[in-house]
Amino acid sequence: MINFSQINLVWLPVLPLVVIATAAMVVLLVGVRVDDEESDGLGWLALASIVIALVLALGIFGQSGIAFAGAIAIDSFSAFFELSILIAAALTVLMSLDYADEHRLPGAEYYSLLLFSVLGMMLMATASDLIVIFIGLETMSLAVYVLAGLLRRDPRSSEAAIKYFLLGAFSTGFLLYGIALIYGATGTIKLVAIHAALTGPLLSNPLLLLGLGLMLIGFGFKVAAVPFHMWTPDVYEGAPTPITAFMAVGVKIAAFAGFLRVFMVQLGPASAAWTDVMWAISALTMTVGNMLAIVQSNIKRMLAYSAIAHAGYILVALTAGGPQAGGAILYYLLGYAFTNLGAFAVVVALERRGAAGDQIADYRGLATRQPLMAAAMAIFLLSLLGIPPLVGFVGKFYLFNAAVHRGFVGLVVIGVLNSAASAYYYLSVVVAMYMQEGGFLEETRRSRPALVAAIAIALIGTVLIGIYPEPYFTAAGNAYQSAMSPEEVHAATAMAP
Amino acid sequence: MTTWFPVVVTLIVAGLVVGVMCTINMLLGPKRPSEIKGEAFECGNPPSGSAWGRFSVRFYLTAILFLVFDVEVIFLYPWAVEIRRLGMFGFVEALIFIVILAVGLIYAWQRGALDWD
Amino acid sequence: MLTAIIFLPLLGALLIMMQSDERTVWNAAFVFSLVPLGLSFYMLWQFRAGEAGYQFVEQYPWIPSLGISYHLGVDGISLFLVVLTTLLITISLFYSAGGDIEERAREFCFFVLVLETGLLGALLAVDLFLFYVFWEVMLIPMYFLIGIWGHGERIYAALKFVVFTMVGSLLMLVAILCLVFSARQHLEHITFDLPMLYQVPLSTTEARWLFAAFALAFAIKVPMWPVHTWLPDAHTNAPTAGSVILAGIMLKMGTYGFLRFAIPLFPEVAVEAIPLFMALAVIGIIYGALVAMMQPDLKRLVAYSSVSHLGFVMLGIFAFNIQGIDGAVYQMLNHGISTGGLFLLVGMIYLRRHTREISEFGGLWKSVPIYAGIFMVVMLSSIGLPGLNGFVGEFLIMLGTFLRLKLAAVFAVTGVILGALYMLWTYERVQFGPITKAVNETIADLNGREIASMVPLIALMLLMGFFPRPLISRIEPSAARLLERVNVAEARLDERRHRAALAATAPRGLDSRILKVAAAK
Repeated sequence: MINFSQINLVWLPVLPLVVIATAAMVVLLVGVRVDDEESDGLGWLALASIVIALVLALGIFGQSGIAFAGAIAIDSFSAFFELSILIAAALTVLMSLDYADEHRLPGAEYYSLLLFSVLGMMLMATASDLIVIFIGLETMSLAVYVLAGLLRRDPRSSEAAIKYFLLGAFSTGFLLYGIALIYGATGTIKLVAIHAALTGPLLSNPLLLLGLGLMLIGFGFKVAAVPFHMWTPDVYEGAPTPITAFMAVGVKIAAFAGFLRVFMVQLGPASAAWTDVMWAISALTMTVGNMLAIVQSNIKRMLAYSAIAHAGYILVALTAGGPQAGGAILYYLLGYAFTNLGAFAVVVALERRGAAGDQIADYRGLATRQPLMAAAMAIFLLSLLGIPPLVGFVGKFYLFNAAVHRGFVGLVVIGVLNSAASAYYYLSVVVAMYMQEGGFLEETRRSRPALVAAIAIALIGTVLIGIYPEPYFTAAGNAYQSAMSPEEVHAATAMAP
Repeated sequence: MTTWFPVVVTLIVAGLVVGVMCTINMLLGPKRPSEIKGEAFECGNPPSGSAWGRFSVRFYLTAILFLVFDVEVIFLYPWAVEIRRLGMFGFVEALIFIVILAVGLIYAWQRGALDWD
Repeated sequence: MLTAIIFLPLLGALLIMMQSDERTVWNAAFVFSLVPLGLSFYMLWQFRAGEAGYQFVEQYPWIPSLGISYHLGVDGISLFLVVLTTLLITISLFYSAGGDIEERAREFCFFVLVLETGLLGALLAVDLFLFYVFWEVMLIPMYFLIGIWGHGERIYAALKFVVFTMVGSLLMLVAILCLVFSARQHLEHITFDLPMLYQVPLSTTEARWLFAAFALAFAIKVPMWPVHTWLPDAHTNAPTAGSVILAGIMLKMGTYGFLRFAIPLFPEVAVEAIPLFMALAVIGIIYGALVAMMQPDLKRLVAYSSVSHLGFVMLGIFAFNIQGIDGAVYQMLNHGISTGGLFLLVGMIYLRRHTREISEFGGLWKSVPIYAGIFMVVMLSSIGLPGLNGFVGEFLIMLGTFLRLKLAAVFAVTGVILGALYMLWTYERVQFGPITKAVNETIADLNGREIASMVPLIALMLLMGFFPRPLISRIEPSAARLLERVNVAEARLDERRHRAALAATAPRGLDSRILKVAAAK
């Protein structure tokens, strides 16, 4: 007989999830009665629920334990990722208010699907067994597939949706098969139990290794690592811009949450099996992402390839492993959320119906027409490029620092050379904005306050977290450690003073 | 392993029986193909139109809605069997489950998925 | 104090962005560059001569979990560079307000002031992370200055400048991380603090790699031959103020980086690398001079002369004796003043004629006598005429080089001669002779603002030419302390080589003795 009062105790940590799920359903039901032109209220409703969840998630910091018979982990790791995801979601909603209006998107479906995908992401971040990770991944992905295709009049949007769906479903298959094999090898789907089982002869069990490889492919698709990145540019280009932003940030954060928890934290003992592969994937991802970004003329495609490159930088730290790298990745993702969403928010602000204005050439002379907008974009791009003291630099610094301390100097050198190469395409937008004339002659549209607020928040985050990174970095480090078992923390700290 | 032995035997026997019967049929049976025999079978009536007939897209929606309730029923049967053991907790859980599905149904209804015209 | 010097320009930059009236912007920018100038003179006044260590030190924890602190300080090597920076920035802003920059004045002032913050921060930082932050910060404003207000192939030049510098500096970042990692193993705690990192013992291979990364980053900035190719493009296409700052201050960041970081962190490797760097420096000197001589474009000529002059600075540094290093630091200042002055003068004539082709000029002496006179003084300073500042620095460097490696000194002297040759030849073609182009007869001579921009530079040339002592006495203790490290390393290296030589000869010695014994039997 299950005791209801005992169950009650663990409700608090999952409250953010419950709030988001409830809000998603409410938005859906209320939304069907609302005209598409008046979808703002739904957006504000979604935003309110995200803010409430954000506050609730703060309460999880410092707790530790598992709930729902080991399916959900309650620790700072979950809390940190939930926070990052919710911040990304809040900024996305803020920029969507403008976009949904301009492009006549169906508000009920748009905002509720957004919330459902947030729910899936948060579930991935808190999951502590492979099945829950899978459920989270599916909840997130299915919602995003639909969101990508919401611009029904634009064939590029439909193409994005179908491509993302087919390849996404394919990759999920890999992940699921990997999970099955790992279950076969270890006899459990609980991450903690898997970790405990990974000793001696099991480490060279072919089932386990095959399972690891398949899961690597599954996660690789979601974080858009090369060679599993083919879908990214088309999908990013075709999807509604706020959704592109959300995919580039939210989906990536969630996927890395799963990736990190599975590979670095729980499969750490088997790291010898995947370090070399990861090394190669990381180097490839950085190089291919940057090289292909250079030749893009569409800003969304450029940002898509840049997102691939950034996944590569993160994979550098993931390859290196260790608590420092874990903290660095968490910090990087938080900073990346602000910077990248900021850049996309500017793209939203300049875009017109019918996808006009998403060419880099359209940015010519922006500095004279809209100096503040251009300055904001320049700062976001410089942060992505990694210019101090912006958050993009500090994040990269942490990542590379962690990797150097584990002896991966070669990989870091590849990383910094890529960084230098990325100057070319990030600065080409700056060149267009500041050093060229022309652009499209249409009268500039006034951006809505919500969108301006999104850009402002992103800007503050980009600058502030960069100039004074200490508290965030410490929190990220602690969050990472909270996901490891006590003995591991001990071992790790003993090894690295 | 020994406990599964009868199953293996059954499988082998079943395979053998089917295989032997099909082979005998193939060897001994008379073969007189005709045009009528090659036609699509439509419950004994003479076939009309192409086999690639079209039907309304609305059937897809109906089918999807059916699928939702189909899955719901699959989950509710085991719950109903064990309802006493699961108690209040189980009851609330099932209610939440039904509510979530109901939300989906209401949404579909409001969007006009149930209107045929 | 140092914080105020660094961040006042930044504050000014932010305040300026809220102004819209152009006149106010120029005045505000001028004031905000004048205040750090005043503060730096006050710092110069308060600086205790004869002390080698850092003064006006400020230190606060910044990112304690990685041992990064906000650590500032000034010593004899950076002292005058700080003053030079604040001075040249002020002059650039003052000059540009007079019509050189006509559009987007507000943004121009913004970027110049941000650039000043970056430059000063890099000069004053004593923490490697902090240094790197400022080092990168100064890249971006310069990029905008070249790209927006430049001429000709400005965008290409700006991009080339950024990518070249970034490749070097990012590799340096990796080296910094590796160094800190070694420090963590030896010092038992993680730190980016420069004085602490000086104490880290490194294996020879490790030190060689790290030195290579640091040296590459700084050599690109200097720029040393063969990584100088970005410089002519950047200089030629930059606006006048940009060229002045680039040549006057930014190039010194490279040589300063050698003195502050690359050499004291890895003294043994630096000593090992003397032949290489002296060779590169000499090649740079002669190559720069020869190419400068052939330039039809006045600005490109000055740009290549920078390659040559910075070669002298590198030569002085790698002489590793007190004369050489004193001379190098002195020559850094000289080059800032005289080349800054030359770029200003080229800018002034460009403003009048919209061309920089030497063949377009001739006989300017007659139509613009003040201009020609000032040009003469600045040029002579650049050549190194006794009595002007250039002579002191060049003389000390030649002396130091001669003591270290006579052959290098011999080649470098050819560079001096070539330098005099192309400068004087250019002067002759531009200023003397008959006026060949009619337009040149009617061009206006320098106005008050332009003369006022040049006066402080001329004054400094004379002062530094006649009274080098006050400067040298402040530079020397810090230079001596640097030398101490190098000398210790050199002694250690000699000992190691000696022992290696012994080890190599010992068995042979033994064999021969055995042979002798055998022969005796």
